[in-house]
Amino acid sequence: MTWRTEHPPTTEDLNSCIDCGLCLSACPTYSITGDETASPRGRIAAMRAVDRGTVALDNRFAQIVDSCLQCLACETVCPSLVPFGTLMEGARAEVAAHRPTPTTAAKRFIFGRLIASRRALMFLSWLLVIAQRLGITGVLPGRASKAKAIRTIPIPVSATAGRQWDPQGEPIGTVGFLSGCVMDHWYSEVHVAVIDLLTRAGYRVVAPKQQTCCGAIAAHEGAAQHARRMAQRNVEAFAGFDTIIVDSAGCSAHMKDYAHWTEDGADLAGRIADANQVIAKLIADGKLPTITERRGQIAIQDPCHLRHAQGITLQPRDILRAAGYEVVETDPTGTCCGAAGAYQLSHPQVSERLGRRKAAQVAATDLDRVASANPGCEMQLLSYLGNSTTVEHPIEIYRNELNRNQEST
Amino acid sequence: MIGYGLPHFPMTRASSVDDSSGVVARLIGVLGSERVHTHPLDLLVFGKDAGVTPGEAAVVVLPESTDEVAAVVRVATAAGVPVVARGAGTGLAGGAVPTSACVLVVLTRMNEIFEVDEVGRTAWVGAGLVNEALSNAVADHGLLFAPDPASQQTATIGGNVGTNAGGPHCLAEGSTIAHVLGMEVVTGDGEVMMVGGAAPDPLGYDLRGLFVGSEGTLGIVTRVLVRLVEVPPQLETMLISFVDVSDAARAVSEVIAEGVVPAALELMDGPMIEAVENFVHAGLPVGPGAVLLAEVSGHSVGVAADAALVREIAVLNGATEIRVARDEDDRALLWKGRKAAFGAIAQSAPDYYLNDTVVPRTRFVDVLDEIYAIAERYELRLLNLIHAGDGNFHPIVSYDAAEAGMTEKVIDATHEMVRAAVAAGGTLSGEHGIGIEKRDLMPEVFSADDLDAQERIRDAFDPLRLLNPGKVLPEGSRCLDRPPT
Ligand SMILES: Cc1cc2nc3c(=O)[nH]c(=O)nc-3n(C[C@H](O)[C@H](O)[C@H](O)COP(=O)(O)OP(=O)(O)OC[C@H]3O[C@@H](n4cnc5c(N)ncnc54)[C@H](O)[C@@H]3O)c2cc1C
Ligand code: SF4
Ligand code: SF4
Repeated sequence: MTWRTEHPPTTEDLNSCIDCGLCLSACPTYSITGDETASPRGRIAAMRAVDRGTVALDNRFAQIVDSCLQCLACETVCPSLVPFGTLMEGARAEVAAHRPTPTTAAKRFIFGRLIASRRALMFLSWLLVIAQRLGITGVLPGRASKAKAIRTIPIPVSATAGRQWDPQGEPIGTVGFLSGCVMDHWYSEVHVAVIDLLTRAGYRVVAPKQQTCCGAIAAHEGAAQHARRMAQRNVEAFAGFDTIIVDSAGCSAHMKDYAHWTEDGADLAGRIADANQVIAKLIADGKLPTITERRGQIAIQDPCHLRHAQGITLQPRDILRAAGYEVVETDPTGTCCGAAGAYQLSHPQVSERLGRRKAAQVAATDLDRVASANPGCEMQLLSYLGNSTTVEHPIEIYRNELNRNQEST
Repeated sequence: MIGYGLPHFPMTRASSVDDSSGVVARLIGVLGSERVHTHPLDLLVFGKDAGVTPGEAAVVVLPESTDEVAAVVRVATAAGVPVVARGAGTGLAGGAVPTSACVLVVLTRMNEIFEVDEVGRTAWVGAGLVNEALSNAVADHGLLFAPDPASQQTATIGGNVGTNAGGPHCLAEGSTIAHVLGMEVVTGDGEVMMVGGAAPDPLGYDLRGLFVGSEGTLGIVTRVLVRLVEVPPQLETMLISFVDVSDAARAVSEVIAEGVVPAALELMDGPMIEAVENFVHAGLPVGPGAVLLAEVSGHSVGVAADAALVREIAVLNGATEIRVARDEDDRALLWKGRKAAFGAIAQSAPDYYLNDTVVPRTRFVDVLDEIYAIAERYELRLLNLIHAGDGNFHPIVSYDAAEAGMTEKVIDATHEMVRAAVAAGGTLSGEHGIGIEKRDLMPEVFSADDLDAQERIRDAFDPLRLLNPGKVLPEGSRCLDRPPT
């Protein structure tokens, strides 16, 4: 096969799969269809067939590839350590290169260009603010149209890129901070909480102006060149920092994989820390307090990009315990909630099925508060759970409890 | 239990399916177009199991009920098209791999649990139910399905029946055959038939033994009446390290000779441990030597006594370290290591060849030594994974098929290993089945007359030879087919 892009699925990675099938039942799309062509092993087999030139890269290949949620549950269970995420990103890029449809072109523009433009994002955010205030979010695509699904964006629309914050206590060092794309405006409360905690612990926090979107969505949607460009730009922007704090699971997972995207990416990848890791460590080291009052129970939901992509499961729980909560598990296998970025728009039926399954698991706990460290999951959970349920980021919860504690003392 | 219902993913059909026989059109008539795959890419994706031999079906179907399976079989056989049953495709012998342009009947969507009798400890389940899903579903009743192949998270009950699957805990509990009371089967002519049933001893011939392990050559199993067992009240799991594999093997023989039947006795050699540890990070002792994973179960007094005896024998045979699982999580981690073992071998080389021989326990140590000697003679990398309690060896040769002459060398070496086991009174396959991959070794253990007798049984159920042709019995097993000698 003549793959056309710079990052196609490699024969070596494809051969690391021995077809054992142990990943099948972990895969959400297989578990709801029982169909090998919707399984990790099946998707790898399809890529292998194209790689060997046995079949052409056609529409059917594109369907098999597109039906994947990129949740990486298959990586977690694979004893052969197959880098499935990398293979799938390669396959997506190839599909985009071979079959330029209006949708792929539009996706490339949105996730490759638009998202990297601060001005465009600010403009969109203001549009959203207005829509939210006017109560007309019903015009938004997919589940985002649900009144509660997207957090109400505070006015004025804030942005962190280009700013820096001084330590509030004894200085212990400087860290870089990824502002991200939509996170910066739409989930700014999480940014505020993380930055506040970091500065309380003594960090000086710098969000360099030159940085851009991490490129995760571009990579997932097959816009490989854009993903590469964004990675390169961030490598430069964060050159001077020993540690870069990233508070969106999808972004930290992707940046830890930068070695794959640009030559000097490995070095930056090694300096990326997910905010959950850092805050949990600061608490464990006594640099941030542990609340001893009991706050009751809270349900937890693991974002795939934390649990499966980075193996981070203990830290969010530790943070919630330090906030005074007893953590109640919802899903022992950590199956994807079906949000999966743009997936809920491209495969609404499957997304809904998984969203309902996840909502039912949460509902079974009888709790009306859920901790989830990712905006996509938050949106999905909210849109399938009743209005009485709230979903927040563990770090946000911890910081609110800390504030509440301090006010009362 | 989750029935699948929908949703389905969009599926493009190949524009130019050759359907001169009209089979595809009729199958679509039975199942609707969404559960009939004909695209070349789909046929490739479904063309392999976890073994090494690929094949290609003419059409793949995913029925959801016994009636649909029967209708599919009727459509196919009426047109003279073979039918191959497939569960999850975790088989290691190519059993579910099409050898000719067939209708591949995938049973995974038939995953219902129809009925659980907690008192009688039985359940009626769909053949496509995942093994572990059954145990999870009845866990609240304190019950489980005892056969626990290392593939249990994916493999189906129907596939377990097809191959008479075993597993680490089958040492004490027996393999699948000991846990199947009855089956609903669609025969080669599309009729639905009951085999066995709730009665402990069915009237007439007990055909269960014939169907369990028949690898889809006698009929397609659609529903299974399984026996459930009590979750053992007490368990002790130990990981015992040895400097040398033979020491571990000797310890196993002595444990069994003492009359203790542990729930499981699993042995991994040094190279195997290393691959596994890379995945599980369970703190396994990486290095030369071997580990024995031993589990005893039952009621507390007996468990403590048996565990103590196992430890004593291990120490007498040179055990260097004994790690007892502290709690359920620790136990789960040790087992995760064992169960991931097969998948983990791919880390060392892109290809592997896996054997499944069984040897009598008395010859265990000798045969093991011989297997290592063969690998050394052929200069091959060998990893060993052994259901030590019942002498079921899985010597795995890991190699790179891209190297010239390598594949032939590996096949020669593994056949020598099989012969060594057979010469010591053992047999070809302990649990994975014969399928395609071990088929041509059948004459090593059966005489021409034995094979002929087996072919006659097959003919009785499948006179047209349309059920999973080319599997289990080598070509020309019927005396009539054999050239005169
Ligand atoms: C990592 C790994 C570990 C394994 N460990 C073990 C182990 O410990 N013990 C063990 O015994 N095996 C083991 N196996 C082999 C395999 O998992 C078993 O043989 C299992 O029973 C196959 O189930 P399946 O659903 O995948 O069947 P498939 O592979 O789909 O089919 C297996 C055979 O059964 C037939 N079949 C399937 N369903 C039906 C049906 N409904 N009716 C009639 N025939 C049918 C097929 O035609 C085929 O011949 C392992 C495999 C892997 C990959
Ligand atoms: S678990 Fe890993 S090696 Fe096994 S089939 Fe899945 S991806 Fe391949
Ligand atoms: S990434 Fe998720 S959806 Fe895609 S194959 Fe892996 S487990 Fe399945």
